[in-house]
Amino acid sequence: MRSIFYLLESAPYGSEKAYGILNAAAVSIKMDATLGLYADGVYLALAGQKSCLLDVPNLSDILYAYPELRILAHEPSLAERGLMNRGLVERVELVDEEDFIRQALAADGLIAL
Amino acid sequence: MKTLTIILTDGPYISQYADMAYKIASRALNLFQVNIFLYLDAVHIPKSGQNPSQFKNTGLLFQELADRGAVVRACARCAAARGYRAEEDGSCPDYLPGIKITSLYDLAEMLEKSDRLIAL
Repeated sequence: MRSIFYLLESAPYGSEKAYGILNAAAVSIKMDATLGLYADGVYLALAGQKSCLLDVPNLSDILYAYPELRILAHEPSLAERGLMNRGLVERVELVDEEDFIRQALAADGLIAL
Repeated sequence: MKTLTIILTDGPYISQYADMAYKIASRALNLFQVNIFLYLDAVHIPKSGQNPSQFKNTGLLFQELADRGAVVRACARCAAARGYRAEEDGSCPDYLPGIKITSLYDLAEMLEKSDRLIAL
């Protein structure tokens, strides 16, 4: 496989899913790797995350650490959660439903968490 | 022979998830080189000493897959977080034989070499 699409539909803190998918995506950057944020996963796109009180890593730092990783946020999920006016991590690309699904299906493999 | 990679993220018994993965992998071994990567809670699957009273022993099912040629590997970070200690060669005293703990980079290598992917 030459391309892989990681689909995150869980919020970034409160479970290991986002951390797990970010780690898996980070080691896949030799491939054409994309992280798609969908449903509650779009909270990972918000700028200004502060996780120090949770005593867990700031997951948005991982987004900055791997510029090879494309990051897409599903715009309808952001809108449904009232997040369209919030600042986002600069690296995140907003995509509509059709484009999000098209890019997910275009990859050779898809891993959802 | 083409290669199939299966990624699991949930543990045994809470559902039939691991059972289904076993059935898929078992059948696939007739057609593919099968790699199985155990991630997050799936690292519990190969724990030795499982003794379910009502279900098939999931650990033994996955040991059988390894015996038949499947490469079954567990994520080192996830395993360490859950108390599974790897020896230098990747074996684990708490795991069934044939299933090793390895770096997450092995997942990337499995993916690159795979023709098919099933992520459950």
